[in-house]
Amino acid sequence: MRENEGLKFLKRRGIIETIGICTVIVIWQLVASFIVKKTYLLPSPYEVFFAFYTVREVIPVDIYISLLHFSIGLAAGATVGITIGALMGGFKLIDRAMDPIMEILRAIPPIAWIPFAIIWLKLTHYSAGFVVFVGAIFPILINTYTGFKSVDKIYIDAAKVLGCKKGMSLIKSVVLPYSLPYIAAGTRIGMGIGWMCVVAAEMFGASGRVGLGWRLWNRFYALHMMDKLVAYMIVIGLIALLLDRIFRYLVEEKSLKWRKGLVAV
Amino acid sequence: MEKRVGSGIVKMNHKLELRKVSKRFNTEEGKMEALEGINLEVKPNEFLCVIGPSGCGKTTLLRLIAGLDHPSSGAIILDGKEVKGPSPDRGMVFQEFSLFPWRTVLKNVEFGLEIKGMKEKARRKIAERYIELVGLRGFENCYPYELSGGMKQRVAIARALATDPAILLMDEPFGSVDAQTRNILQEELLEIWKRTKKTILFVTHSVDEAVYLADRVAVMSARPGCLIKCLGIDIPRPRKRTSREVNEFREQLLMLLSLERSKACISV
Repeated sequence: MRENEGLKFLKRRGIIETIGICTVIVIWQLVASFIVKKTYLLPSPYEVFFAFYTVREVIPVDIYISLLHFSIGLAAGATVGITIGALMGGFKLIDRAMDPIMEILRAIPPIAWIPFAIIWLKLTHYSAGFVVFVGAIFPILINTYTGFKSVDKIYIDAAKVLGCKKGMSLIKSVVLPYSLPYIAAGTRIGMGIGWMCVVAAEMFGASGRVGLGWRLWNRFYALHMMDKLVAYMIVIGLIALLLDRIFRYLVEEKSLKWRKGLVAV
Repeated sequence: MEKRVGSGIVKMNHKLELRKVSKRFNTEEGKMEALEGINLEVKPNEFLCVIGPSGCGKTTLLRLIAGLDHPSSGAIILDGKEVKGPSPDRGMVFQEFSLFPWRTVLKNVEFGLEIKGMKEKARRKIAERYIELVGLRGFENCYPYELSGGMKQRVAIARALATDPAILLMDEPFGSVDAQTRNILQEELLEIWKRTKKTILFVTHSVDEAVYLADRVAVMSARPGCLIKCLGIDIPRPRKRTSREVNEFREQLLMLLSLERSKACISV
């Protein structure tokens, strides 16, 4: 009977999750304090906690700048990705003409574009934004394309019978709304990749001496302040998590409610 | 043409005519004759059922009339004008569920009016009237996934009627709902037909359904599909599904169909 109640307590929302996180922190602390014993090899949670405090003034500025780079790149990536994906999905000739180009470009890691980002856009916010753009565009493009390609014929027929003539009105009324879940999924993947690209581009100083990535590499790593470095790693991770959650909430819960019957959200 | 939907006062005289309509499909094994020399006249306000063995081209026939496919030869004429492509003057209810899943019931019914460019208020009024007509008041803001199969087809009927078509094409619309729901939907369809005075062309493979619904049943042969007989059913409505007259018509139709099936077997 008592065991049963204990189990019930564990199953409550958040309990077992909290226990999991705490366990990891405790083990980390023990390993850092008693086995490794060197801050520059493995800073302990305790040290990281205080590192947060010492960098409290620069964190908001760096977050703001990195989010700016991220937004520039994502906005450009979504605009261009959806447009090209839609054109390729809608027109066979464009598809055939663009496909090999896209496949080659897609194979180049976004980070390889950093030199050109700097040369073309100088040390501005746009140059880190450009790297994000390269990282985010392909998943968005490919998903838009897939969405456009997979529209059920029955919906096209139904729309035609109801007066939709070929072309734009069909795209606007049927193909685009049908593809939205695909585009949303692509954007979500693009956001994940884009966030990685922000950090990488900033590490290389693509946008000058700003951003989370720049400070992480050129300040904390360069000076071997590993406790602060870990603090920044955690911040970077948490922001990615937060962005994903916000996106999911806004898009999947609000705009794509109609999908609930089709897939388990 | 004057219309006031729902009130029951309607005047319409739309005529559909099929003249020697044939359809060939190009398949990998060569040309496939789907339909051959179909001559058919659908009278204004008539409820015509098309019945035939499976694969005889019933759906193809309906798609040709809808304008979703083009006949290889012959002509389809509605109100003196040849059918060239799809248009809202021929409403269609599909066999598969065809509601746009991203639109609510209301928005689905409004679709055709929206395409026409009608203002939101006006189209909402019309849509609500048709939703009421199919008995789905209160479900306006539901998404298709929240509806049962029968409800989905009712919305599809409302959506097809909302643009006020001259003729309503129905392709086995109740094929994927359970038997009891089907009976209810058939009764409701007759009621809708009575109130809107539409011409209805209803494709089915069910003899029972045809005899219960139709003014006239057109029987098609096995592939290549051609019309072998038109049978007028003059039993007054409401019909009793188990009455003697109904059974006699069923018997006639079943005989015709089994004859067709056996021919198909021989030719194979």
